[in-house]
Amino acid sequence: MMQQILTLSFMTAFLSAAVRLAMPLMYGGLGEIYAEKSGILNIGMEGVMLCGAFFSFAGAWYSGSLAVGLVCGIAGGIAVALIHGLLSIYLAKDQSVSGLALNMLTLGLTSFLFKLMSAGQGYQQIQTLPSVALPGLSALPLIGEAFFNKDILTYLLYVLLILTHIFYKKTNLGLSFAAIGENPEAAASAGVPVHRFQWIAMLLNGILGGIAGAYLVLVQLGVFTEDMVSGRGYIALATVIFGRYTPFGMFGAALVFGAANALQIRLQTIGVSISPYLLGLLPYLITIFAMLGAVGKNAKPESLSKPYIKGSR
Amino acid sequence: MNRRRTAALDLLIIIALTLLVGSILILACGAGPGEALSLFVQGIFKNKSSMVEVLVKACPLILTSLGCAVAYRAGFFTIGAEGQFYIGAMVTTALSLGLTGVPGWLRIIIALAGGFVSGALWALIAAVLKARFDISEIIITIMLNYIAIYFLGYAVRSFLMDPAGNVPQSAKIPKDGQLQVLMQGTRFHAGILIAFCSVVIVWYILTRLTAGYELKVVGLNQRAASVNGISVIRNIILSAFLSGGLAALAGGIEVIAIQKKLLEGISGGCGYTAVLIALIAGNRPFGVLAASILYAAVQSGAGSMQRQLGVPSSIVNILIGTLVVLILAKDLFHPRRRSSGADTQKGGSGV
Repeated sequence: MMQQILTLSFMTAFLSAAVRLAMPLMYGGLGEIYAEKSGILNIGMEGVMLCGAFFSFAGAWYSGSLAVGLVCGIAGGIAVALIHGLLSIYLAKDQSVSGLALNMLTLGLTSFLFKLMSAGQGYQQIQTLPSVALPGLSALPLIGEAFFNKDILTYLLYVLLILTHIFYKKTNLGLSFAAIGENPEAAASAGVPVHRFQWIAMLLNGILGGIAGAYLVLVQLGVFTEDMVSGRGYIALATVIFGRYTPFGMFGAALVFGAANALQIRLQTIGVSISPYLLGLLPYLITIFAMLGAVGKNAKPESLSKPYIKGSR
Repeated sequence: MNRRRTAALDLLIIIALTLLVGSILILACGAGPGEALSLFVQGIFKNKSSMVEVLVKACPLILTSLGCAVAYRAGFFTIGAEGQFYIGAMVTTALSLGLTGVPGWLRIIIALAGGFVSGALWALIAAVLKARFDISEIIITIMLNYIAIYFLGYAVRSFLMDPAGNVPQSAKIPKDGQLQVLMQGTRFHAGILIAFCSVVIVWYILTRLTAGYELKVVGLNQRAASVNGISVIRNIILSAFLSGGLAALAGGIEVIAIQKKLLEGISGGCGYTAVLIALIAGNRPFGVLAASILYAAVQSGAGSMQRQLGVPSSIVNILIGTLVVLILAKDLFHPRRRSSGADTQKGGSGV
């Protein structure tokens, strides 16, 4: 068995699957970074992704175009994120409660709409987004295949990661966006429009979460199934904590989860005699250990999930 | 304006809007609202058996929501009832099938008690991580849910699998180890009485004992609690223990009273529903009782609509989600009060 694992072709396929499986977590995690750094905890990321997945499938199915599907998925994600924004920014309600309620609501809604849409019969797969090999880079041994022979959404994520990093590290605007999650009162007295920035952050949260869900449908599976996000939204939250609220940290954390998932699938395909159910719980177990590993490194925004009310101290 | 009248008006608006959403969804399925309504009512009140069935459905919800309520009182925002339910169901099954020499009544007690303790210990994982390391209980409990669900999938295919069959489920619980039906022609079982008793006991603990008071203080203000000599860690762990035990008890009862065997998906998602029921009920034990029965009634009605009209029963999830969102959004109904509406939030249960 060990010999089978240590071949280059196994490792290449394994790493490639890890990146592919990590991609929804990375999009979701990036969206959550924007929200949490501005002080809004969106536990409803699961619901944002689920709506992204459903509406991207519906859009792509009815229009026959993946681009339309992607736009619909993003719109679905934005809708959920903005409801969360309404409750947590405008109405200053408990963000955990709001997020959980939205998760239940979207779980019901997407299942309901999917049943109506399918009227009892199964759907065929839609065409998934093709891979585009980047010339030069994709020829690199091992990592070339895994990182640079992928779909365009993967490349878009790399760009977004770098932009997000620069935004928070190098720009004044980014500093303001991070300040409102640390100390909104101080930021406000320095002239930062706290609520407006939080709304923008939630918009980004919805867009990126919508893409995360759409990725599951448009790239990975080509179909929608009820509750298909199955906890990835919550794992995305964990990658943010494990990655210490930085884009590249989150990228690494998501890659670890993707690898756990890929390992599980790979081991099954080469016929390792461990129950798939025991392997299936591996990513969730790793999440818990990852959270333990992040203990003590306090990167959490000071005012995370504390509503900011204008004029209060 | 009169505060109480505003609250009553809010409630009316919320209920009206929820019903409106429900009607729109039913219309979207191409069903007539009149017919749907009559089927909905029939599903609940058709006969003695269907009315008792509401209580049968409410039983696991009462216990799991009660568990959530206890934890939320202490500010421990667990989402773990689902996993604890599975753990309880598994351990109760294993004990019920394993203790062959023990008389039936004693085996029931040991199996349910064992289930309770196992679920309580399962909940302690998240409580200890929260109390010692300040790790988000929300994410940990959700991860623990998935672990419990996958582990149950493994269990019913290996050490708990019925040796006589080849489907992923356990052997049947022997007749003398089942909770008996107490009312002929219905499924009214002794577990429902256990659920009712639990409500009274938890109510007594929370409102009449010092322990309950301390729990509440910790939930409201951790700093004030520790300044006054109330141990935050101890109370979080205590509330998690009780909360996990109650959810696991629900799982155990489901096995030995309803399904009579262990199988996948046995919770029907009630651990997640419980979170919202506890919140709607304001974490009050008798509120939990009422909200669980109401939810079960809606579920029964929706089930009848699904069978007769093909209205997907996921409509129940939509309605409860809508209900909570509307409760949170109620300040929108009278914008002038919005700025003072902030006094209702609890200051955030952060990650």
